[in-house]
Amino acid sequence: MKPVYVVLVVLFGVSVGIIRFRQFRARLRRRRGSEAGAQRAPAGRPDSPSVGGEVATAPAAAVPPGPHERTAVRRAADIGERFGDVGQIAMREVTERVRSRIFRVGTIIVLVAVALAIIIPELDKSSSRPTPQAVGVVGTVSPALEHLVAAAGKGDKDKVRFVTESSLARAQGALRAKKLAFAIVGGSEVLLWEPASLSSSPADPTLVDDAAEYLGVLQAYRTAGLTPAQAADIDNSKSAPVRTLQSGSGHSTHVVPVIGIILMFVMLSQYCTWTLIGVMQEKSSRVVEVLLATVRPLQLLAGKVLGIGLVALGQATLVVAFALLLAEGLGSDVLKGDQPLAVAALLLWLVLGYAFYCWLYAAAGSTAERQDQIQTLALPLSIPMLIGYVYSLTVASSGSPDTFFKVLAYLPPTAPFCMSVLVALGQATWWEFLASVLISIAGTVAMAVFAARIYRRAVLHTGGRVRLRELLARSGQR
Amino acid sequence: MRSVPGVLELEGLRRRYGDVVALDDLSFEVPSGQVVGFLGPNGAGKTTTMRAVFGLTDLDAGSVRWNGIPVNQAARRRFGYMPEERGLYPGMHVGEQLEYLGRLHGLSTVDAARATEDWLERLEVADRRDSKVETLSHGNQQRVQLAAALLHEPELIVLDEPLSGLDPTGIDAIGKVLVDQARAGSCVVFSSHQLDQVEDLCERVTIIDHGRLVVSGTVDELETSGARRLVVRVDGDRSGEWARRLPGVTVSEVSAGAVRLVLDRSVDSDDVLRAAMGIGRVTEFSFARRRLSEVFREAVA
Repeated sequence: MKPVYVVLVVLFGVSVGIIRFRQFRARLRRRRGSEAGAQRAPAGRPDSPSVGGEVATAPAAAVPPGPHERTAVRRAADIGERFGDVGQIAMREVTERVRSRIFRVGTIIVLVAVALAIIIPELDKSSSRPTPQAVGVVGTVSPALEHLVAAAGKGDKDKVRFVTESSLARAQGALRAKKLAFAIVGGSEVLLWEPASLSSSPADPTLVDDAAEYLGVLQAYRTAGLTPAQAADIDNSKSAPVRTLQSGSGHSTHVVPVIGIILMFVMLSQYCTWTLIGVMQEKSSRVVEVLLATVRPLQLLAGKVLGIGLVALGQATLVVAFALLLAEGLGSDVLKGDQPLAVAALLLWLVLGYAFYCWLYAAAGSTAERQDQIQTLALPLSIPMLIGYVYSLTVASSGSPDTFFKVLAYLPPTAPFCMSVLVALGQATWWEFLASVLISIAGTVAMAVFAARIYRRAVLHTGGRVRLRELLARSGQR
Repeated sequence: MRSVPGVLELEGLRRRYGDVVALDDLSFEVPSGQVVGFLGPNGAGKTTTMRAVFGLTDLDAGSVRWNGIPVNQAARRRFGYMPEERGLYPGMHVGEQLEYLGRLHGLSTVDAARATEDWLERLEVADRRDSKVETLSHGNQQRVQLAAALLHEPELIVLDEPLSGLDPTGIDAIGKVLVDQARAGSCVVFSSHQLDQVEDLCERVTIIDHGRLVVSGTVDELETSGARRLVVRVDGDRSGEWARRLPGVTVSEVSAGAVRLVLDRSVDSDDVLRAAMGIGRVTEFSFARRRLSEVFREAVA
């Protein structure tokens, strides 16, 4: 069995196992809950949901965790407690997000997409089995030619078999019946029934070209008057070593930047939209009033973007680790070479990109109150991201960045995409990379200050959209 | 008993939204240990005042002090607030939400869990602790919101319309909790339009209108002050027309045959009785206290 299938089966088995285990645990909890409820029932309040001693199996009856029970949420809260209010707020974000169905399904979809991106090329590779190529031989053929054609066939994934035909007529018959792919006649000519490029032809066009080329070369040796030994020497010649003066530049494959840029775009838009929606929901549900009665606006904002940022980083790390492990397990060369550097750079830029954009989206969310305002707000914000994304994709596949692209690699809104591509293409020195990172950090700080100012004004302003001019005009007291 | 009974002082609060004056040099004090009703017609500035206590509204002028010290973030942690438009995460479980809010008010994880347990029990919503807030009825959401304001044993409790939209059981349950908190030493202020309930629950009321203080005092003081009230019932009379003709007498209300009269200082009640007897047989004739609703109407007229 192919390793691909083994991996797929194992993945499937593990996920089914996890689901079963969770179901089992939930059932166990429910049962324990109803037993506890049955014991409590006689002493219960008259209006408790028990009828004639029978305990109603309402979900509410399921085991409430006691005040001392260590639930996952409380463990997270303990971690958050060490970092003050911002920590508490961030850990709430993390636990609520990670528990949500959207997050889980989304993660699985991303993992499946990444797995397919790695597995499909592998399947493609293994499905292209060696195609049998029966090569008719009319007259004699030198062993050197047979050797060369067979070797060329191996290179082209063809399984070459030589069939000696007694006459040209028989060879022609076999060609017509497609028993032969092509025939070598008299050691000087390649004969086909129809052009090899036609899909109906059984002949591999590359192999035909190779055979013709070798025939020509051998004939040239003969005309040049080389002895068979000399000709053999030439045939067995080895390539001279190739030396590069700078390692890491010029990659044969641009798969990592392309996959990476797509993932980065998907994740950045997803998580930034989460901050936007999260802030908007806190405002529209008015829970922000309760929260801001005890914490400062900047703490609430910082906790929120930090929490979502942690979830984003966690998910990205999971996806990357999964991709690397899967590629390693399959022996895929998609992520081979000196790409770990590019992968690390991608992760760093995901963090920097999120840090820059999240403030902007959060500030935008604080000016909205309804779901339908989200589209109008998110679209203009996503334009710089889209420019960086599309431009980076074209450059990543062409492999040749122009000057404008290099400029974009230093601007915080587009740097996450453009600089990652430059790194993956080996066209950025360490100090260029560092300069771009520093500019991005500076831009993030400026953006955070600006966003906090808008947020503070807008989030408590209810009743209709808030105008930007209004927000920037007055200076606040808080 | 809270260790430090405090007093909330609002002084010279001013707030203007464009051309609208929400607060116009508003000053008053709220002592601890009492339930204080905060009244006023719609748009009087009640919500703005309450939000100002929590720094949710920027003030143009004025100060809010707790025990003589201007209120800051640290002080607000020891306050409890129930906003007018309820605010809870709709998709979060009741218990976890309350524990979270408790921790934000400075409780440890264990204390927050314990307080959540206690309050859900006290407000009779313990069986909903694992439900999402959005699945709760209006009354139960209100109870959870109240629990959120009380979890951390606040010194000052400010509630914006805590009784609106509740059935009588809900009003009783929440009202009892508020009185208990005040008895335990907290400073409790709540706004309401249900004046009958305010009359039952509050020791004091503060009435504002157009952002200014109109009346403030104990319910007893306010109800016994002002013009005398007489309730007269005459067999066969449903309209009280006879009383309208008397000089210095105003008919404030006619309900189910009983006429409620407001007497000027100059009016002799014996004259009123004689006038009533001239119409028919008098079946009821009694002095009454000023009702809070009357105090309110007269104050904001």
